[in-house]
Amino acid sequence: MNNTIEVENLTKYYGDLLAVDHISFEVRQGEVFGFLGPNGAGKTTTQRMLTTLLEPTAGRIVIQGHDLAHDAYPVKRRMGLVPEESNVYTELTAWGNLMFTARLYRVPRQQREQRARELLETFGLWEKRDVKVEDFSKGMRRRLSIAMAIIHKPALLFLDEPTPGLDAQSARAIRDLIRQMQAEGTTIFLTTHQIEEASLLCDRVAIINHGQIAAIDTPEQLKRASERVQSVEVALAPSGTAPGEALAALPGVTTQVKMGDKWRLYTDDPSALLPQVIDYARSEELRVISLSTLGPSLEDVFLEITGQQVGTVRHEAQANDQRGKRGGRR
Amino acid sequence: MKSTTTMNGGWIARLQDEIAQAWTVAVKDVKVYYLTPPMIMFGLVLPFFLFFSFSVKREIGVEVGMARLLALTTFFTASSAGPVIIPLERRMGTYDRLLAAPMSLLTLLLGKTLVGAFFATAVSMVPLGVGVLVLGVTVANVAMLLIGLVLASLAFAAFGLIFASIPTHSVGSIMMPSTLVRWPLMFISGIFVPLEEMAPWARALAHLSPLTYVQDLMNHAVLGAGALNPWLDLALLPLLLVIFLMPAAWLHHRSRVLGY
Ligand SMILES: Nc1ncnc2c1ncn2[C@@H]1O[C@H](COP(=O)(O)OP(=O)(O)OP(=O)(O)O)[C@@H](O)[C@H]1O
Ligand SMILES: [Mg+2]
Repeated sequence: MNNTIEVENLTKYYGDLLAVDHISFEVRQGEVFGFLGPNGAGKTTTQRMLTTLLEPTAGRIVIQGHDLAHDAYPVKRRMGLVPEESNVYTELTAWGNLMFTARLYRVPRQQREQRARELLETFGLWEKRDVKVEDFSKGMRRRLSIAMAIIHKPALLFLDEPTPGLDAQSARAIRDLIRQMQAEGTTIFLTTHQIEEASLLCDRVAIINHGQIAAIDTPEQLKRASERVQSVEVALAPSGTAPGEALAALPGVTTQVKMGDKWRLYTDDPSALLPQVIDYARSEELRVISLSTLGPSLEDVFLEITGQQVGTVRHEAQANDQRGKRGGRR
Repeated sequence: MKSTTTMNGGWIARLQDEIAQAWTVAVKDVKVYYLTPPMIMFGLVLPFFLFFSFSVKREIGVEVGMARLLALTTFFTASSAGPVIIPLERRMGTYDRLLAAPMSLLTLLLGKTLVGAFFATAVSMVPLGVGVLVLGVTVANVAMLLIGLVLASLAFAAFGLIFASIPTHSVGSIMMPSTLVRWPLMFISGIFVPLEEMAPWARALAHLSPLTYVQDLMNHAVLGAGALNPWLDLALLPLLLVIFLMPAAWLHHRSRVLGY
């Protein structure tokens, strides 16, 4: 058996709200498995069920051959967990946090001190080991919470969006760590809403939206799909005469969608399309109010992969901004 | 197949692990929460406030006063710990650490019981110290007093955990219902009116409050006399601990369906 995680028909209702809708997937031993989806897709809910923090409404989770509903203990021993919000004890020092976690996981004394030292050094926190965590920055707390998750050398590591809000250097350090842990044989379940990150790190990526898994694919497929849904957004004035058909007829445009006073033109080559839009405006004596290129939105990649019409996303979804920014939470 | 023996050496090792984990949780909570404002408010100030509000007008001896205050501090301090600490931990997300750790829910709750008992025993050292060292109170039975304080603190800490199961991130939402239960239990107990002076119906009612037995035990320990059998009082406390832990474990398990 070389599946570390097997999930069958996993479902979660919060009251009437269906957050996770009968999903099934496997995570293979030793792989980095990406769990990619926009805000509210059900990623955290799924991860909380996989880590025993939330009871599923229905479905089955088997991890390392143990059914989580009846036999979670051996799984918990070998599982590490980095939640969405860095949950560290702000009243304790970095060292105190690590010692507490190590004791909780019954790491023997000599090992825990040595391991804590290694981890603090790896994460650049050794000098700060005796500082109370309330004085730590967000990035430092993040690094500490990852160190706490791996102090017992888990065979299976869950990370819920480990990099948003961190500077490039910290994010890179975390990505390097994920690669290194994979090289040492750890199976990694990585939740993210960044296509970039998923394609950089993952062996396979599940795409989840509205509680359902649309596809499980390799990063290459994902990249190809996401290239097809890049777009150019343009606002022209006067907008009286609808230029929709004319814009759609420009070479390279796959789909055009009206968004308020703007037109969004999907293409796999935005840089080739830009001058064409400008030429078109000039020839029709229209003024270009705004013109921008947009990277692939997760929502669009999702639609592309599921073979649905790109751009059929509701306009509210646009307002929510699926392009990598994080909305306010709770 | 239950894999009780697949870990590091069977159920004895597992039991050792769980005891160590409960202890780890308790020690960490003592370090982290002893100076948090809600803990000071509900655990330290409240019992003294209640004592002085309801006792000062009456003429009571210092011995009676000390026995009463010891019962009050164990009751309120111990039963406040869980309701203060657990919502705070839920809000910080650190409670998830404990829930995800390789230990049983009962071990976690046992750890939380130990914290409450520790705080309550520590706080009751204040009236005890002042009573004995400053006011010259003589304690009739020191062993009974200390054992009684610890056992009462454990039982009442477990009592508090029942309320701490309420799925919320706010201390206030738990203090409300827990006050609604604890204050009536205080008033029907023999704490402000001695059992001997109660009407028969009131006395029958008083037997429903666990505080009655602790008050009586403290009377036996400090004054050397009480209304009930001190051995009954003492035997009842471990039983209460188990009785309170059972619904607490069940309720905490249930709140996990909601993800708390
Ligand atoms: N405790 C809860 N009670 C009720 N509804 C919830 C709860 N947690 C999440 N939800 C809802 O379930 C859905 C999925 O939420 P979830 O947090 O799993 O999404 P996510 O994919 O992790 O999103 P994000 O990228 O914002 O972290 C959302 O509609 C959310 O509002
Ligand atoms: Mg999330």
